[in-house]
Amino acid sequence: MKMNKAKRKVAVAPVDEFPPGERVEIKVGKISIAVFNVKGEYFAIFGICPHQSAPLSRGRLQGTVVCNEHTNWEKEWAHDGEVLVCPGHAMEFDLRTGKAFGYGMKLRTYDVIVEDDWVTVIL
Amino acid sequence: MANSKDSIEVKRVEAAFNPVQDQDLDIYGEELRKYTIVDVDVHVDDTLQNMLPYMDGHFGKRLEAVLTADFMGEPHNSLRNMIAHVSWLGAAYDKHPRAKLATKEDLLDRMEYGIIDYSILFPSELLPIGYLPDPKWAASLASAYNEYMVDAYSNVAGVKIAIVVSPKSVEHAVIEIEKYASNSDVVTVSIPDVGVNPPLGDKKYWPIYEAAEACNLPVSLHGIEALIHDNYPLRVAHFPTLMQVHSMGFPFTSMLQVMSVVCEGVPVRYPNLKFCVMEAGITWVPFIMHRLDTAYRQYRTELPALEAQPSEYISKWYWGTHELEKLPKKGDLSKLLDLYQGHDTTMWASDWPHLERDLIAGLMYYDLDDEVRAKILGKNAIEFYGITT
Ligand code: FES
Repeated sequence: MKMNKAKRKVAVAPVDEFPPGERVEIKVGKISIAVFNVKGEYFAIFGICPHQSAPLSRGRLQGTVVCNEHTNWEKEWAHDGEVLVCPGHAMEFDLRTGKAFGYGMKLRTYDVIVEDDWVTVIL
Repeated sequence: MANSKDSIEVKRVEAAFNPVQDQDLDIYGEELRKYTIVDVDVHVDDTLQNMLPYMDGHFGKRLEAVLTADFMGEPHNSLRNMIAHVSWLGAAYDKHPRAKLATKEDLLDRMEYGIIDYSILFPSELLPIGYLPDPKWAASLASAYNEYMVDAYSNVAGVKIAIVVSPKSVEHAVIEIEKYASNSDVVTVSIPDVGVNPPLGDKKYWPIYEAAEACNLPVSLHGIEALIHDNYPLRVAHFPTLMQVHSMGFPFTSMLQVMSVVCEGVPVRYPNLKFCVMEAGITWVPFIMHRLDTAYRQYRTELPALEAQPSEYISKWYWGTHELEKLPKKGDLSKLLDLYQGHDTTMWASDWPHLERDLIAGLMYYDLDDEVRAKILGKNAIEFYGITT
């Protein structure tokens, strides 16, 4: 039998109280999720760093340096404003995908929608 | 997995501009309360300016000149920073939250949270004295540092002091050790070991060990990123990135010094002297033990003073955990401890407040017997430093 698991929604804040540049931390039981408004776009990502458990909701948003075949193996500044830097020891995570730069590892990301004028995270 | 019965809490937060600390993590709960926690590697960063009144004559003037240099917007930390980051400035793109320079107040605030029961204070700006070329300048800095630290931190609840000595000034080091031996808040002699040439097993340093043993003070070797110095083991010009300097600098220096002290027979000559190594991580410890044992089989005649394999001496050394490596599996730390027999000799160390400081969560990640965890978090340090609780 296929279980149709209902998604749980968490209303985080009214849209006008969650402007660009702001962030909130939500705790659902033991799980912590960091939610950001970056230039009007919302992102939600698992909130505990896999290294030594620092709260990612407190990380700064920056860009980072990439070097790959698309850059012709030259270093380039990229992802400006969308790289979440852990406030513990600076591991970097791509807010869009949850991918840790330089690691074969990915944090869970969550969809964020606006519903009835509330920023809402879908678990 | 979240389920529908879980409570929900929403909190507005701000980016942290200083690195988060243990007290910023809410994952520990009551768990840590049952342990006596000794943080064996703690620093305050405002000692240079506070030492100034303790320095006379031309060395006082010289320190004044050092203090006026404002490096990376961090006046008063110039000595360490100048040597530290100039070659690789900007290479980390300011990713790390900038570590706030910690003062006595910050230290007391941290202790106030009640997570850490004891802090062992090691020098911060004075860690380069191992390679300051002028022995008199190094000795004068060490004297002023020790005097200031003992004035400022004796009788402060939970705080213990490592006095610093310069290996380039052996006679002066002996005087310093004897001077502070009877102060029960002074618990160890710190030798900054980077750039020290010849390495620390050499006979010229033996008076330091003799004094430390006689005064019942253990010796702590504390590294620093092997930066501008040009001595073995790392001629740093080989490294284009600070990451490489940092990764190799600490453990390579430590391996060199452990090898030198053991192979020159120091543990045989001073059997009651205890040693520990700070800030080099711990994964290399089994390597150096067994690597030396392998060579010992062939070259034993070069080391006739030894009465046992090198690993037997090294297994008695103590180790500060910082920077504790994150091994892939939760059971890996236990295996590592087995390899170097480290259950009674491994001591939790944070390196607070420096950028790389470890959070206790890094140790709690590992599966360990509760007794072993209690030893690493505090009991081993209480034994090593002779702290009376
Ligand atoms: S806790 Fe995130 S990088 Fe260390």
